[in-house]
Amino acid sequence: MIKEVLQQLWKDKFARAALIILGFIYLSLLFADFIAPYTKDFSDRTMAYVPPSKIFTIDENGKLSKPYTYNYIREFDEENLSIKYKLDRSKKHYIKFFVKGQSYKFLGLIPSKIHLFTTDKEGRIFLLGTDINGRDVFSRLLFGGRISMTIGFLSLFVLFPIGLLYGGISGYFGGKIDMIMMRFAEAIMSIPSFYLLIILASILPSGMTSTQRFLLIVIILALIGWAGFARVVRGMVLSIKNQEYVQAAQAIGASRLRIIIKHILPQTTSFVIVAMTLSIPSYILSESGLSFLGLGIQQPDASWGNMLKEAQEFTNILYRPWLLTPGFLIFVSVLAFNLIGDTIRDVLDPKSKVR
Amino acid sequence: MTRRGFRVLFVILLAALLCKGCLVKDVPESEISKKTIENNSINIDYPAPKNVTLNGIDYLQSQAPIGKFGGELIASTIGEGPKTFNPFNCKDNISSLMAGIMYDGLLSSDPITGQPIPKLAKSFSISENGKDYTIKLRHGIKWTDGKPITADDVIFTWNDIIFAGLGDTSTRDSIIIDDKLPTVKKINDYTVVFSTPKPFAPFIRMLSTPIAPKHIFMPATKKGPEYFDSFLSTNTQPKDFVTSGAFKLKEYVPAQRVVFERNPNYYEINTKEQKLPYLDKVIYLIVGDLNNEVLKFEAKELDVISLQGSKVARYKSLEPHSDFKLYNLGPNTGTMYLSMNLNNRKNDKGQYYVDPIKQKWFQDLNFRKAVDYAIDRKSMVFNIANGIGAPLFTAESLNSIYLNKKLKPYDKDINKSKELLKKSGFYTDKKGRLFDKAGHRVEFNLYTNAGNSEREAIGVMVKQDLEDLGMKVNFKPIEFNSLVNKLVSTFDWDMVIMGLTGSPLEPNGGKNVWLSDGRLHMFNQRTPKEGKIGILSWEKELDEMFIKGALATKFEDRKKYYDKYQEIAYNEKPFIYIYSPVIIVAIRDKFKNIYPSSLNGITHNIEEIYIGD
Amino acid sequence: METLKYIIKRILQTIPLLIIVSIISFFIIRLSPVDPLAELKLNPSISPVTVERERQRLGLDKPIIIQYGKWAYSFVRGDLGVTSTGERVSQKLKERIPNTLLLTSIVILLTWIVGVPLGIIAAVHWKTAFDRILTVLTSIGMAIPSFFFAVLLLLFAVKTGWFPIGGLTSPNFADLNFGQKFIDIAYHLILPVFVLFTISLASLQRQMRANMLDVLDSDYVKFARAKGLPEWIVIYKHALRNAINPMITLLGFEFAGLLSGAALTEYVFQYPGLGRLILEAVLKSDINLVMASLMMGAVMLVTGNLIADILLIITDPRIRVKS
Repeated sequence: MIKEVLQQLWKDKFARAALIILGFIYLSLLFADFIAPYTKDFSDRTMAYVPPSKIFTIDENGKLSKPYTYNYIREFDEENLSIKYKLDRSKKHYIKFFVKGQSYKFLGLIPSKIHLFTTDKEGRIFLLGTDINGRDVFSRLLFGGRISMTIGFLSLFVLFPIGLLYGGISGYFGGKIDMIMMRFAEAIMSIPSFYLLIILASILPSGMTSTQRFLLIVIILALIGWAGFARVVRGMVLSIKNQEYVQAAQAIGASRLRIIIKHILPQTTSFVIVAMTLSIPSYILSESGLSFLGLGIQQPDASWGNMLKEAQEFTNILYRPWLLTPGFLIFVSVLAFNLIGDTIRDVLDPKSKVR
Repeated sequence: MTRRGFRVLFVILLAALLCKGCLVKDVPESEISKKTIENNSINIDYPAPKNVTLNGIDYLQSQAPIGKFGGELIASTIGEGPKTFNPFNCKDNISSLMAGIMYDGLLSSDPITGQPIPKLAKSFSISENGKDYTIKLRHGIKWTDGKPITADDVIFTWNDIIFAGLGDTSTRDSIIIDDKLPTVKKINDYTVVFSTPKPFAPFIRMLSTPIAPKHIFMPATKKGPEYFDSFLSTNTQPKDFVTSGAFKLKEYVPAQRVVFERNPNYYEINTKEQKLPYLDKVIYLIVGDLNNEVLKFEAKELDVISLQGSKVARYKSLEPHSDFKLYNLGPNTGTMYLSMNLNNRKNDKGQYYVDPIKQKWFQDLNFRKAVDYAIDRKSMVFNIANGIGAPLFTAESLNSIYLNKKLKPYDKDINKSKELLKKSGFYTDKKGRLFDKAGHRVEFNLYTNAGNSEREAIGVMVKQDLEDLGMKVNFKPIEFNSLVNKLVSTFDWDMVIMGLTGSPLEPNGGKNVWLSDGRLHMFNQRTPKEGKIGILSWEKELDEMFIKGALATKFEDRKKYYDKYQEIAYNEKPFIYIYSPVIIVAIRDKFKNIYPSSLNGITHNIEEIYIGD
Repeated sequence: METLKYIIKRILQTIPLLIIVSIISFFIIRLSPVDPLAELKLNPSISPVTVERERQRLGLDKPIIIQYGKWAYSFVRGDLGVTSTGERVSQKLKERIPNTLLLTSIVILLTWIVGVPLGIIAAVHWKTAFDRILTVLTSIGMAIPSFFFAVLLLLFAVKTGWFPIGGLTSPNFADLNFGQKFIDIAYHLILPVFVLFTISLASLQRQMRANMLDVLDSDYVKFARAKGLPEWIVIYKHALRNAINPMITLLGFEFAGLLSGAALTEYVFQYPGLGRLILEAVLKSDINLVMASLMMGAVMLVTGNLIADILLIITDPRIRVKS
């Protein structure tokens, strides 16, 4: 089945493009420490809000040269009350590849100092400019992406087992248990999900470490979605449980939990796969919305949503468009997930009731 | 075949484009020509209104140029709009602002000098002993419903509302002197006398409290506090308001706007004896955040806006070819600071509020000074306020009339910090980590309220500055409410970045912060039960300065006490002040009679403002 | 008669649902570590006496069960309490709910007008390039973060001056006549409606496409085709009616999705709706207001579902038999 799905995905032009883009994004995120010239917390405060570094390959004499860049210097222009950015042409900073820079632990394990590219010690290379604290937007995009692009997956892995089991038990047992369990699920579904989301996020206790906060947000996101999922599973279980082989399993006296897990739930696999791929985007969007409001991932950690917070400011959009890049990345990756999800649905479950 | 051909072509094209992209020529930009833009500093020659009597009516006469009638001015408020239109129930700035437009007080403050000037009162005088305030009211002035404004209204407002403790009691709370309230006496229909039990200089500022129409408020006060709290709420019909200010309420649309229209009974006239105000309407749009406000100004939906940081540069550059003008009103009245928890007491369960190891650091003046010298205020102004701000070193804001100018600013000096730390026995190991005398790693939490991007950015910079000294700072922006809870009830915090608003005219408002048993004495907060327990010598001195400062009557005498309090704060560093943003206001240049004031803002003379050609 | 009975039964079913919702929300909110009086406490001009009075007024000195009981009792009587700043919660909701209903109902109407035909076309041209492109286009709409889209649109409005910058009415609204008022509101609604429409179109279009595919595959459509009826009659007379019926159940869910989606859009556009209200209330931890808005959100959602169900029974009596 998986092979067929992959074949179909590759055959479809849009899905293929989406797969390539997502693969590229996830690979970059995996190697973020190596690709990013700086760590997520590195900041040079004399370089706050500087535009992307200009990289030159032809020097001032018109000759071909190794790529180099200049630092920016800022001046406060008292007459215009504005800050001017000028290139500091006194010193060229050559760009070097595969050289030692700031130290990091690759994948959190292997200590290393090698970066894909960097420049000399005094030089700064900011491919996408810097933010208010003089942090490299390009590097933060990579580190922030690790959070934004995994939070959805993690939530799904919390949510799906809960939903499956809940729906399975409810559907299989039926009667009063079913009634009570379904009323509870419906009650959760009756609270507009975003309202519930912001309320749960706002009561997170203060003073947590960023990992704790990340995990709790994963759980909150999962808490929002399980009920709707469980309801659909229950519907499917209701029709599956009367099939012969289930009754056969009952007849030989298998335990009820075993029947649910071993015999009934596997029947819902294709639905689950379709539902999962199609719901990843909404989790990515929820996280970004939450962080955008300041309720999700918080400074100094980076996520695409909280980086976008700066882009809310009007003058930033006009004069510092590089701060908008997280928005475009969210858009691209969500779109890619949607396209893949559509294709998978068409293959596995063409008349799916899942949006 | 053709398909493949296309593909090859495509790849070649792409490669060519990439190469083109890689070849960037290093050509110096032409120098940016520096245009000088006319510098409009604050206009201080504001012609203050005078009293005139015409046909037995005591008018206030505007001395500003005569204008044209008609038109409207659209301003904005940030947030959710007013909570009430009852001037005695206001607990938030926006409600107070609205009440201030609708209801005049007896006095107000001069926009330039900050001295008290008459408003509803025609004149006022203070007795020799500094205890009696005689107020003469204007003859013949009226409420919006045509009833005269008399001494009865004043007596009623003070006795039956303020002294009776109805609504918001902050005015009442601040004038209790030795457990006694001042008294007010009616001499005749147009004269009242206020008496304080002791000379109490801040009292004069309290006379700017709005005066209520007795015939409207009387029934409400009789129904008790609960009814009064909901009296004149935002649901009240605009026609039911009886007010005295230059503008009266026309319409309130929740979460959208408040519309005021001209009060035809207003007591100010121009030199041609025409009744002011000039404008037909003043509209306050309720906007949720600063960003939306700027967008609305940009789209010409707003006429006036106060600008910060990077936005100033944009409007400064647009100004020459636009329909608005910028005015620099100077540093704002708020203070932003970094504070350490000096609490050395235990809670009911016998546990220290602050870890005793950390207590030793925070209570060490050298440590506090080291932190102070390590803070890079200039970079903060540069990065966060985009250069539109001024480093702050004093407890009074930079525009305060009580500012102690002898306290000098200084720059970041990391070597001095290291020296100070060394003096107290701190040392760093090879990795640059800082340890105290007893060998404990210096590590603590730094809090601020999440969602305030300015404070979050300051926090990130403070963290770096202190980590340069080898400290480990865990920067935690937390939800505002939780933070306040830590500051005023649980006291379990180490270091915090907070802000407070103050008055540039009256330092006594800060007594809640500075008195050792004050409710907002955050740096060494005591519970009400603890009283003044464990008071430090300089805290005692601060108490003394505030008590003496309030009781002194002459400005010069008071200034001495308040200078001293600022000096103590400067030396002891309970608060490490960071910077004050400078307020730049933009207003459409069709509005005339604009006399911006660093104390009262740009529309303090709203009744005199008109729309020119 | 049967129909009426079913409807009454359905209405009664919502009551336990709402009780569970209220219990869940109440406990979640009261579990929060935040202090609803913090804002007052930090205001230098407010005395401890005032703070204490507020605490008693909000009943914060009682155990949580009693608080819930008190709250539930007054809720049933229609008293939603006061906000942390002393305004009546019911008044605030009354101001906001109609605005949110206006916004969401326009969006629902629009998505139906556009989404249903698009779904039909896609189904009829199933697996053609046209179908694929349509899916991709709607996917694009679904992929833009709503707040980001809204911010960009606001910028567009500023640059062109074609649209107002958020809000619902112009400052001179009170002086306009009826027709002008209508135009004024419509003018303010264009951008927020556009954002919500773009993000919610995709799901409706897909659903319609799926239903249509389902129906087109069924025996009676095959039979109709076999009879030699023209294709457009088969589609519009036979298939469409049956494909649309299940869509009505979706109405309720669409409404739910919109209530959620609208919150961020309302926030960016400064639209005076329920979503913005609850967001501000949450940020201030204004318990009564959060509680009431949550309940109102839930009530609106449940009512939406109820209406959808009732509509379904009226249009398709077969459902009643099944249930």
